[in-house]
Amino acid sequence: MHAPREYEGPAIRAENVEVRYRNKVVWQQATFDVEPGEFVAVIGPNGAGKTTLFRMLLGLHWPTSGLLSVLGAPPHRGNARIGYVPQRHTIDRDTHLACDKLVRLAYPGVPWGPEHRYRPTPWGPRLRLRGEREAAARALRDVGATELGGAPLGSLSGGELQRIFLAEALVGNPDMLLLDEPLSNLDLRRSRELVEVIHGLVLSRGVTTLLVAHDINPMIKCLDKVIYIANGKVATGRPSEVLTSERLTALYGVRVEVLRDSRNNIVIVGGEDEKGEEGA
Amino acid sequence: MSAAGPPFSWNLISDLRAIWQFEFMRNAFEAGTMIAIVAGLIGYFVVLRRSAFASHALAHTGFSGAAAAVLVGANPVYGLLIFTMASGTGMAFLGTRAASRDVEIGTVLAFALGLGLLFLSLYQGYATEAYSILFGEILGISTGGVTFTIWTGLVVLGIVAIIYRPLLFASLDEDVAEAKGLPLLGLNLAFLLLLAVAISIAVQIIGVLLIFALMVTPAAIAVRLTRRVVSAIVVSIIVAVTAVWAGLFIGWYEPYPVSFFIVGIVFVEYICIRGMGALRETELLQALDAPEEEGVRSLGNASLLGSVAQALLVGGAVLLALALLRSPGSAWNIAALFRHAFLALLLLVLAAGVGTVSFLLYFSGFRKMATSSREFTSPALLTLVGLLGIALAVSGLALFLTGAALNASAYALAPVATLFGVPLLLLGVVLAVIGLFGQAVGSWRAGLRYQEGVLRAGAWLMVVPLVGHALSFLGYRRALARGPPIAPAIVPA
Repeated sequence: MHAPREYEGPAIRAENVEVRYRNKVVWQQATFDVEPGEFVAVIGPNGAGKTTLFRMLLGLHWPTSGLLSVLGAPPHRGNARIGYVPQRHTIDRDTHLACDKLVRLAYPGVPWGPEHRYRPTPWGPRLRLRGEREAAARALRDVGATELGGAPLGSLSGGELQRIFLAEALVGNPDMLLLDEPLSNLDLRRSRELVEVIHGLVLSRGVTTLLVAHDINPMIKCLDKVIYIANGKVATGRPSEVLTSERLTALYGVRVEVLRDSRNNIVIVGGEDEKGEEGA
Repeated sequence: MSAAGPPFSWNLISDLRAIWQFEFMRNAFEAGTMIAIVAGLIGYFVVLRRSAFASHALAHTGFSGAAAAVLVGANPVYGLLIFTMASGTGMAFLGTRAASRDVEIGTVLAFALGLGLLFLSLYQGYATEAYSILFGEILGISTGGVTFTIWTGLVVLGIVAIIYRPLLFASLDEDVAEAKGLPLLGLNLAFLLLLAVAISIAVQIIGVLLIFALMVTPAAIAVRLTRRVVSAIVVSIIVAVTAVWAGLFIGWYEPYPVSFFIVGIVFVEYICIRGMGALRETELLQALDAPEEEGVRSLGNASLLGSVAQALLVGGAVLLALALLRSPGSAWNIAALFRHAFLALLLLVLAAGVGTVSFLLYFSGFRKMATSSREFTSPALLTLVGLLGIALAVSGLALFLTGAALNASAYALAPVATLFGVPLLLLGVVLAVIGLFGQAVGSWRAGLRYQEGVLRAGAWLMVVPLVGHALSFLGYRRALARGPPIAPAIVPA
């Protein structure tokens, strides 16, 4: 099902990246790799630059120094190989449009001529692209939302809406998914369900997935890697390596404790309260 | 307007032909149709992008442009175009969220209106000009104006056809569109320029102050009726065109402004649609805690009764027609009608009774099916509309018969009863047919759900008396025997 990779090396490679937002350093000296097919959580306090990382990968924001490559190439705007679900992405309750239309509109394809799989063709007097309906149906099925296809967008619950957005990101059969806080408005059960869907996609499609979240617990079991952004610095590694009192204390520069309960849920104490605001 | 032609008759075709003998009315219909098509199309995007207020503001800046044009002795349309396009460009560079910047927009539009007032007061005899710019003057469109309107409208339609897909996506999901590399600024600019042009030509018929009626309300009606983009645009255009046509038509016979009739028609339609939407939200249409099987069973019974009702209806109608052919005078004489066509009337009353029960069963069946799938909510709603139609048709018939009875005794109220009875009857029949359509849609969806070809065939043939409902009955029986389909799991294990 998943097409063979068209690039060499890691899915994301960052070397000594520094990024500024309105002339203020957001974070610097970031060096990390994300391997193809990995499921990665991006964690950190508000304003630490998690969304900025996504905008850089999408080519909407440029690093001030360092080297960044995405899917074997420098990041560029309109990269059809990346599926993106923005943060606090809501739809007006009054939107009567059917869900599958949103998914279908996101389909990048060509209506005539030879088919270039990854060239998005936003222009043209067409109502429907070749293969659009099938791709949308498959994306909806893969996120378990086939039944929602005909429902108006405004009628969906938070969890249902996130599935539709996920299908929208998935419809172009991307190599990478960037999901910005898809769990933020969901209760614990819905969060776990959505994480299961996303993990299923990582396994079945081999799509490299980065997910920004505030709470790492719903996905701790399926993660391959954690990117922890705080205090102007970026730490990466396996969850068990990064989420330790020592690493986070070093990252924040103040005493941070990582506590685990009997079911291996993680609580991070300190750090964010004392230094998190400054790290923004 | 001016009743210079022959008076109104119920033969609408000959009425229209009489109206179209006048060139200014032909001009009004031609320009009005093109404007309604453009407004209905652009209006859909206005509603989708929530820039209704921006469109209002553009119209207001257009007012000062029109006034300036009048002052220098030019055609107001050119002033409108220049000013609305300039302010549309400005708005686009303010940012894509400009549509929701109500304070800034409000400040600018108040200034623009004041400027327009100044220009008009500088111009001698401003009252009539101001009136026609503010409220529209469709009957004043010249033949040259019609040509200009049609060409401008065609250009707008062509551009929308080209940027349709990216514009739709950017309107719906700005953030993802940006990440996908769509030029947001360019699309926003293109949209506001198209809006400016559409408003400039629409002001000719509806005026600056009433622009909402053509630019926003038809699309607002359409999005409440359908979830599909193309059908919403088509419905929006149909609403706008029929409102303009009906407004011109009524305006010809009544001494009041055409703009008022257009605004009034659109408003009443909007209220009806909102009322139906509110009805859909009520408990009446919400799914019950009932198993789907019960729903299929009552749908089966409903289709059986439906075919009986249609048989009675057809029999009654045939008998009535025969009786009227034999003694034509009895149509207007209640006593004679009862004497000559008693059996026919009895059959018709029975048909109404059985039909009502059938509609009720359909309604409850679709309602139960809605527990399993939302796609059965709209058939339930339409069936409810059909029930209303039966009630209206019966009361209309009763009024008509009363009128006929009173006519025999030469009572003064008789014409009133007849006058209201016939439209009520016609409206009722139309609504009942809508209900029947809902049943066909519902049966079609049930046929798809249960993979039952007989049921789908029955749905297609629903309008054919007896056959459609009988086939549906068979289909529902088979669906019941086969059992419910395997529900697709929403949550993957």
